[in-house]
Amino acid sequence: MSELLVVENLQKYFPVTRGVIFQKELGQVKAVDGVSFSLEQGKTLGVVGESGCGKSTMARCLARLLEPTGGTINFDGRDITHLSRKSMRPIRRDMMMVFQDPYASLNARKRVGSIVAEPLEVHGIGGDNDRKRRVQELLEIVGLNPEHYNRFPHEFSGGQRQRIGIARALSINPKLIICDEPVSALDVSVQAQILNLLKDLQQDFELTYIFIAHDLNVVRHVSDRVMVMYLGKPVEMGSKRDLYDEPKHPYSGALLSAVPIAEPTAGRARKQIVLEGDVPSPLNPPAACRFHPRCPRFVDGKCNVDEPELTPASGGGDHLYACHFPLERWPMGEDEIRRVPALAGSTE
Amino acid sequence: MPLIEVTDLQTRFRTDDGIVKAVSGVSFSLERGETLGVVGESGSGKSVTFLTVMGLLEKTAETSGSVRFDGEEILGLSMARLRRIRGQRMGMIFQDPMTSLNPVKKIGWQLEEAVLLHNDVNRKEARRRSVAILEEVEIPRADTRIDDYPHQFSGGMRQRVMIAMALINNPEILIADEPTTALDVTTQAQILRLMGRLQQEHEMAIVMITHDLGVVAELADEVIVMYGGRVVEQANVDNLFAKAEMPYTWGLLGSLPRLNLETTRLEQIPGQPPSLLHPPTGCAFNPRCAYAFDRCREELPELRPAAQEHAHLFRCHLGDEERARIWAEKKAAFAAAAGSAA
Amino acid sequence: MTAFVIRRLFWAIFLFLVATIAAYVLFFIIPTNPAALAAGKAATPVVVKHISHVMHLDLPIYQQYWLFLWNMVRHGSLGYSFVNQLPVRGLIRQDAPVTMSLVFGGAVFWLALSIPVGIISALRPRSILDRSAMIFVLIGISAHPVWIGLILAYLIGYRLGLTPISNYCPLVPSHSIGVPCSGPLQWFEHMILPWMTFMLLFAALYVRLIRATVIETMSEDFVRTARAKGASSGRVLVQHVLRNSMLPVVTILGMDLGLALGGAVFTETVFSLHGLGQQLITAATSDDLPVVTGILVFACIAVIVFNFIVDVAYAWLDPRIRLTT
Repeated sequence: MSELLVVENLQKYFPVTRGVIFQKELGQVKAVDGVSFSLEQGKTLGVVGESGCGKSTMARCLARLLEPTGGTINFDGRDITHLSRKSMRPIRRDMMMVFQDPYASLNARKRVGSIVAEPLEVHGIGGDNDRKRRVQELLEIVGLNPEHYNRFPHEFSGGQRQRIGIARALSINPKLIICDEPVSALDVSVQAQILNLLKDLQQDFELTYIFIAHDLNVVRHVSDRVMVMYLGKPVEMGSKRDLYDEPKHPYSGALLSAVPIAEPTAGRARKQIVLEGDVPSPLNPPAACRFHPRCPRFVDGKCNVDEPELTPASGGGDHLYACHFPLERWPMGEDEIRRVPALAGSTE
Repeated sequence: MPLIEVTDLQTRFRTDDGIVKAVSGVSFSLERGETLGVVGESGSGKSVTFLTVMGLLEKTAETSGSVRFDGEEILGLSMARLRRIRGQRMGMIFQDPMTSLNPVKKIGWQLEEAVLLHNDVNRKEARRRSVAILEEVEIPRADTRIDDYPHQFSGGMRQRVMIAMALINNPEILIADEPTTALDVTTQAQILRLMGRLQQEHEMAIVMITHDLGVVAELADEVIVMYGGRVVEQANVDNLFAKAEMPYTWGLLGSLPRLNLETTRLEQIPGQPPSLLHPPTGCAFNPRCAYAFDRCREELPELRPAAQEHAHLFRCHLGDEERARIWAEKKAAFAAAAGSAA
Repeated sequence: MTAFVIRRLFWAIFLFLVATIAAYVLFFIIPTNPAALAAGKAATPVVVKHISHVMHLDLPIYQQYWLFLWNMVRHGSLGYSFVNQLPVRGLIRQDAPVTMSLVFGGAVFWLALSIPVGIISALRPRSILDRSAMIFVLIGISAHPVWIGLILAYLIGYRLGLTPISNYCPLVPSHSIGVPCSGPLQWFEHMILPWMTFMLLFAALYVRLIRATVIETMSEDFVRTARAKGASSGRVLVQHVLRNSMLPVVTILGMDLGLALGGAVFTETVFSLHGLGQQLITAATSDDLPVVTGILVFACIAVIVFNFIVDVAYAWLDPRIRLTT
């Protein structure tokens, strides 16, 4: 199983300027600040984080809709980090995106057949008839009626529109599909349909996914590996079992415990960790560990001075976390989580 | 006497395409201090029901039925009298905090407006109360931030301001229409905890309208599930999750991806929510129901009590043994999945 | 705020240069011989050449342009008319008040009409009032100002004799010889019909605009919040809806005023008001470059000033703009 995507220390900074005619750079919004991971073909990487964590920016960098400020992106063995538009073109055949808003991501003035066929047209694949056939095939694959080829997006429901978006992404047989919050805007019952569809398609077509979401339940369901981001940096990464059963980073713990549980007794019984304050602005991130102002395990003198590096957990080499005082066990309640063991070299 | 008692509420809208039957006979009651969870998806009528209760609908809406608030009939009440209740005895907060506050007015002004509309006090007192309520909803440095504009607050903060505005006159009931859907999950946890605390301190009833069964499980005492403009199941929260009685609820529970379950396939409900313009005949859920039979397409099922729990109501034509059997199967599947996840 | 102003100023200057250069270039493309025109029919080629030299017409285009800029900045002069050798600045000083009276007066009327009508239409969509308002809008947009002007002049001015039908009377009373009438009353009487003509088109457009923005604002979430607080419809309208829906109106108003000051040609022609519009037409048809450029300068400045006022007004109305620029 080869590694389809290898990302090393990806950075995307947006300059903040001031100045009337000659713009002087005041600082930078470090939207993505050092993301590294590798993704095997046929697997799904789930990316979780809240607003301002940089997950969408990262997705756009991977798809080269934005140009990274630093780091490298290696796709299918090729370094695509700074490729020109022209050189990126053939590579875009293997990388497609599905977006969050099924109402905005389809051109309302185009017929559905034309929307799904567009990638084929752009890459000059097949003649008109072949394309029509392919589009009808795709509509059927995603569970829509192929005869609705000539309808407009507004004639479909949200879930159906999302299927159209997926059909569009599939049209040129990509290797990688980046899904940016594909089910957030859908009703619960429809969400399940789309998630099942994505999983089926992954099996049938050997697709690789990057699945970005803020809903931990959804991410767990679809992912093999999960990465948690906070203010532009990954704070924890691992297989889904590692992350959901034994989270190490307090933020991961807070995220997990914040998710409402659809079971009344369990829900009332569990001890929740509720964070204080809001996510700080990426314009002015806190010093050292970016999570320290909100962290229930904050230790003055360490967490606000030394920035924690991503270190492997003792259990497995590919479970990484960036914290000086990782969680010893899980689940933990609010008072338990505040009891930090004495400062020691290694905390495992 | 219940705080709110709704009987056979119906709301219809006249549109160019025909009559939209948004709410078709909803009944429920809410006691003081209780939390009612209202679950449903788009087109279920959950929001319209409470907009009707608050009298916030357009003039093109036609309503019938009865809504009794503290014993007084408020449906069809004159605008002037309804306005006195709204904002004072009943508060409502909405989903999107970004757009629910007037962008060109300071939040202090907006809070003071809420006070001055219902209380005969001077501006200084209104301001004092505004600062106090902002502190209560945990806005830091409330005395300076009160002069800021909405866009200077984050999403979570804005929702707190909305809650403050709804609570400033100490209402007896707070209706929250998807208050945390647009917020991050950690912010949601904060807001839900805040609402729980405020409910205790103010002895308030809460109606929590949401599509998130997790939120309902955590906060609600009673739950009503709405579909196609009707209540399709109604129960105490523990009973609902322990033994749901009809296929739509089963579908909802089954289609939730969950932290503690390892399933390869979620149970999906095929199709999409019904059109309220041309609703299906008989049971509104029948086109999507795996267990539908002829009677379901012809006859609307009545709301009837469950065998063991008389307070647990549901709408389904399937027989008691059949439903019990299906539920047992599903539960077993859940348990197996939960077991394999451990 | 200062950075904002300085940036706007730079753009203004840039805009100004572009517009005036364009005017100069255009004149050089058009085959004309202003020297010959100025010299008169009887002039000999030698005289024409001499006059050509005096008028700097023998210089290359960029030098003529440079002279123009230099004169303007250094002496505040806009040159002299090719046709009658009068200083352009004086011509503008004479004609600008006419156009300004027409435009500002017209604006007051069109706002006074369109704001209430627009709001009421929005509050009662599809009512009889709303439909009549939309018919009015259709007429206002379709009917040509000249046609309207002539009809009004004929019916009200001529047939009913209620108002005069031509000429402009300065607001400030004056007893000098070239001025047949003056004073506020006469000014007003002479301007009534021009105002009615000029404002109709704008009133129509603004009724439509205001109706649309009010309808849109009424459906915003924060209006629902205000009603949920128990505010009355009147209060909701005034305190919450109006300020928010006036934002686009302010923007467009600034643009319209700035543009109109360049010359409300049709109305001026019908009512024989010697404003900038008329002057511009005359100058353009007689290839009078300095006058055309002079009016262009005035129009540029007007547009710039009004856009600036609009920006400031917008920032005052919408705190989101204020704090982020």
